[in-house]
Formats: sequence, C-alpha cells, structure tokens
Amino acid sequence: MNSMTLNKYQLIIMADDKQVVLERILQVTRYRGFLINGMNAEVNTGNNVATITMSVSSERPISLLIDQINKLIDIKGVKVDNSDVQIKQHSA
Amino acid sequence: MTKSKTLTGGALLFEVLQEHGVQHVFGYPGGAIMPIYDALYDSDVKHFLCRHEQGAAFSAVGYARAAGTVGVCLATSGPGATNLITGLADALADSIPVVAITGQVPTAAMGSDAFQEIDIFGLSLACTKHSFQVTDINELEKVLHQAFEIALEGRHGPVLVDIPKDVQLAEVTQRLDKLSHLKNKVKLPLADISKALDLLTHAKQPILYVGGGVGMANAVEEVRDFAEKTGMPSVSTLKGLGAINPDNENHLGMLGMHGTKAANLAVQESDLLVVVGARFDDRVTGKLDEFAPNAKVIHFDIDTAEINKRRDADAAILGDLKGNLPLLTTELNIADWQQKLKQMNTDFAWRYDHPGDNIFAPAVLKTVSDLMPSNTCVTTDVGQHQMWAAQHMTFDDPSNFLTSGGMGTMGFGLPAAIGAQISRPHDTVIAVSGDGSIMMNVQELATIKRYQIPVKVVLIDNAKLGMVRQWQDLFFDGRLSETDLSDNPDFVMLATAFDIKSKLITKKSEVKAAVEEMLDHDGPYLLQVKIDAAENVWPLVPPNTANDKMMESV
Ligand SMILES: Cc1ncc(C[n+]2csc(CCOP(=O)(O)OP(=O)(O)O)c2C)c(N)n1
Ligand SMILES: [Mg+2]
Repeated sequence: MNSMTLNKYQLIIMADDKQVVLERILQVTRYRGFLINGMNAEVNTGNNVATITMSVSSERPISLLIDQINKLIDIKGVKVDNSDVQIKQHSA
Repeated sequence: MTKSKTLTGGALLFEVLQEHGVQHVFGYPGGAIMPIYDALYDSDVKHFLCRHEQGAAFSAVGYARAAGTVGVCLATSGPGATNLITGLADALADSIPVVAITGQVPTAAMGSDAFQEIDIFGLSLACTKHSFQVTDINELEKVLHQAFEIALEGRHGPVLVDIPKDVQLAEVTQRLDKLSHLKNKVKLPLADISKALDLLTHAKQPILYVGGGVGMANAVEEVRDFAEKTGMPSVSTLKGLGAINPDNENHLGMLGMHGTKAANLAVQESDLLVVVGARFDDRVTGKLDEFAPNAKVIHFDIDTAEINKRRDADAAILGDLKGNLPLLTTELNIADWQQKLKQMNTDFAWRYDHPGDNIFAPAVLKTVSDLMPSNTCVTTDVGQHQMWAAQHMTFDDPSNFLTSGGMGTMGFGLPAAIGAQISRPHDTVIAVSGDGSIMMNVQELATIKRYQIPVKVVLIDNAKLGMVRQWQDLFFDGRLSETDLSDNPDFVMLATAFDIKSKLITKKSEVKAAVEEMLDHDGPYLLQVKIDAAENVWPLVPPNTANDKMMESV
C-alpha cells in the first residue's frame, strides 16, 4: 500500500464566467494529480462571475495546483482555506 | 474615424488574420469549413495545402518557430480537427504560438452526433493553452483577436478557435476596433534580485543553464551579454541550443540524457545554477534528487507555475528575461572554475575518427553544419539522428534549430521545415530526419512538390527505429521488438516520384561532395545517408540515474 499521506485542501476559485471554465478546472485538477472530494459551482450566472469551491486531496503540495489553475486564462483568483486570495499573476 | 463594413464570418476571419500580419496559413478543406475556404478564395492571405492536417499543424509550428511570429493552421470538423491534435500538443509542450481554426457542424446540429462532428472544444482542453467555440457571430472578431493575444502573451502556446458553419456564413459588421485587452493581468511581483545578486557574488562554481525560453523571450542578446560579461560557464537544453554564441569558449554544450560529458559533470559539481527559461525537464535532470546536488538555484521564468515545480528556487525572478537578466550582470571571480571546465571541454571533445568505410552519422552532421551557410535553419525528427544533430551541429540562433523537445514527436521534421522555409524564403532550411520518422509525414513531400519548396532533407538511414533499438539493446537484453525497418521503401525512388532530386550515399568518401551538391542545388533535395544499424548515441545517462553516471559505450 502507498504510505504517502493525502492532504486535504479547500479551494475557492473565482473566475470570469466564460465557456467551459468548470471543465477546464476539472481537467487541470485531475491532470496535476489531485482528487476531487466535492465541489460546489455557481457558473453561467449571467453576471460574468463564477465561483467554485472545491475540496481536493493529494500527496502533492497545493501550490502546484494553485499555480496551474491560476494559469487558466479565465481565472481571477484562487484561495485556499481561509488564507488570502492568491492573485492571478500574469505578465504585464 | 473608424470605418465599418459588413462581411461574412469567413471573410472576417481573414480580415483579422491580416490585421495580425498573417500572410501565410496552412490547412486542408472539408465540409464544415467550406465557407472559410470560400472567403479564402478572395483573400490576400496565401494558403498552403498540406496533405494531412498534422502536416498543417507542424508547418504552422515550424513557421512560428523560425520566424518568431504566430503560425496559423486550418482544418475541417471531425477528423480534420482531430488530425491537428498532435501538432497542438507539440506546440503546447514547446510553448509555440499557434492559432488553429477548425470548422464545426452548424450550431443547430451540434450535440446530435452529426456527420463529422467531434467535440474538438472538449478535446482541446488538454492540448491547448486556451480555446474558444464561437456560437455567436458577434463574438467572432473579439475572440479572434484574443486568440492571437493569448498565443503570444506570457508563456506562448497554441490557441484553438472552433467556428460552426452557420457562424462562418453569418453576416456581421466588422468593428475594426483594436484589440480588446485581456482582463486579469496583474503585474508580476517584485523579483528576488538582491537575493540573487548575493547568491551570485558568493558562488565559486556557477553555471548558466540556458533553456528554450531564452529565444522565445527574445533575450538571446541579453543572455550572450550576460555570459560574456560574467564569464559564467554555460550549458544548454535541447531547445536552448543556439542561444549562447557558438564562439563562447565557456560554453559546454547540451546537458541531460545525451548531453556532453563536460556539461553534465560541470552541472553536477556546480554550486549555483542560474536558470534562464528552462524548467528542469526530466530529460535534462536525470534522477532529480541527485541533479546538481550542491547547487543553489536562481530561476528566471515567465511562468509562475514553473518556479518550484521540480526543483526549489533559492531566488525566483519572474517576468521578462530581457529586462531582468541584465540586472544581475556583475563581475565574477571564477577563473579557476573556468579553467577547469575549459580543460574538460578539451579532454572530452567529440571525436570523429571512426574506423572503416561506413558513414559515421555524427561526422556527416558535423560536415553539414560546417558547410551550411550562416543563418541556416535546421529541423529534426525524433530519435538518434535528432540527438546527433543536437550534439554535432552548431546553430547561431535558437530559431535556427527546430526540434520537437517536450513532446518528442516523430513526423515533426519535414512539415516543420516546410513552414520554416515559407517564413524565411531566403535562408537555407535543412530537415535532418530518420528512416522511421520521415514516413510519419511523408505525404508532405507532395507539399514540397506543389510549391517547389527548396527544403533539403538529410535522411539518416539505419533501417531501424534506432533510438528504440538502442534502448532494447541496452536495457531490454537485446530483444529487438518491432524496431527493424530493413524493408524500407526505396527513398531515392520515393523522392523522385515527388520530383525531388535525391541521392544515396553509403561510404565515408562520398559525404563531402554529396553535402556540397545538396547545398548547391536550388530546389528541394533528399540526401539518403546509409549508416550502420548498430551505432548508438553516446554519452547516455540511463533512466533514473544521476547525470554524472553516464554510459560512454558498451
Ligand atoms: C509519434 C511518435 N511515435 C513513437 C515515438 C517513439 N520513438 C522515439 S525515437 C523512435 C525511433 C525513430 O526512428 P528514426 O526516425 O528512424 O530515427 P533513428 O532513431 O533511427 O535515428 C521512436 C519509435 C515517438 N517519439 N513519436
Ligand atoms: Mg532510423
């Protein structure tokens, strides 16, 4: 059996409410090695703000996933637990 | 005053392409993209009909890489779109700006398993930087501008725009307004410059580790300047080759799995890595835990997600390399280290004295490299010939060595060379290919024939899937499973069928004259170079092994 510990994290993601933003987040999360334990998504709201909360677990550090989600074009920011929102970082 | 005019979605596409300076596109028509091809008929944009959509995608990649612009490819829905995918994946892995336009079945038919309907938008999620499906004609202009902006913004990458047939046909008034800028752009945080300077001034054995990001950041000059002024010894990744001035005597060549002995030993001994536009790829690091075990790391990158991904940085400098690297230029006191590495460079220099009459591939590629005009653009396929090209050819700019790095895609070389030649009609373009790889996009010889594209193909023919055969010999007890190609077609006859001049050489004594003949020929040329099937690429760092434990022969 794998003895590595799974760490659990709660993410809050804010995004422009664009096409398939939810699918993009799901795809990146799976690909980067994070298991989704549950989620709640408010998308296609008509006011161009999508909010997604997601609990994930992985052996990998959460910063890896945050950086990759942040890279998605439509993402405004990703927050873990109660810590501060990590503002999207793009080239100027 | 802004003018506006009414036109179809298809015509609008070409207007926007031209606004972005696009003169050439690569593609293949079909039912769901017919309105776009109809608009092409009236457009000044020149279209190159490739003979497979994968060829179109790779030509767009080659075009983009050789010219430092965005490459554009077009395909119809369904199989046309899926045929683009390998090229898009390749562009994603190597951060190449490509805009792919796919036709889609009409919006009313979408989701009904219509003829030639595939969810290319869904498929694109894993193989593009971003993608769009345009279901409203009023969105098309904005989306197309955004596609170009995203392809080139930050770390470059491929963008796909899927356009249903009815949207291509719909009429719209072009707004002719300039780009609507992307939202969400925030300035990068201040870099660890002072930390980096501190690390640098205390380093006794620093190495500059140069990656493909240097060329893409348009920072070749800055990196050369930094290497000159600091005198820091440097190593290059496969994609970083050409960034360092070929005359720089402190350059140790390529590092990694097939890197030079000097480069790999120097990196293992270093106490500081200054990483510019590179990402600690597994083909570079070998066993990650044992890679440069005593080195601190200063990591320059445009992509936040690359920092601390595979190796922690002691100082991270995010953002534009061009502006940031000069801030670190300082004089270093590393004469002993330089001397030691120069000695290694001499001690471990490549040798071309090879016994017998058979042609030695490294020597052929060295000859081609020595004889080719300056600013020649070389593409490769994937395998032993690719590694020999990387080891034994010299490039004066990263845009002069186009190879599938991240994806390692066989079939890249020929169509990429076509794209490169179209973007740079006055430069020599050489595709170094293998007898396995060439067959993966061999249909593109027809593209060469049609447009008389003067690409030179150097076909390194070992009648094997040589790289896989090498691994079978070394790591699978010589059980040669499905790697024999001794029944290859007659390549000279094949080239002749496409009106391409060609020649077969089998002896060392024939090499120089044949290479000269190829280079002197005005049109396309295929030089088939028969080599010994048993030749291996050395050195080789076996999988999951530290880079200083390379094998040098069997
Ligand atoms: C599309 C694709 N399929 C399979 C591979 C695996 N592969 C890597 S090198 C190689 C052999 C290439 O043979 P050839 O083009 O003759 O080059 P050689 O190694 O003989 O120089 C293969 C099959 C690959 N890289 N790309
Ligand atoms: Mg071969």
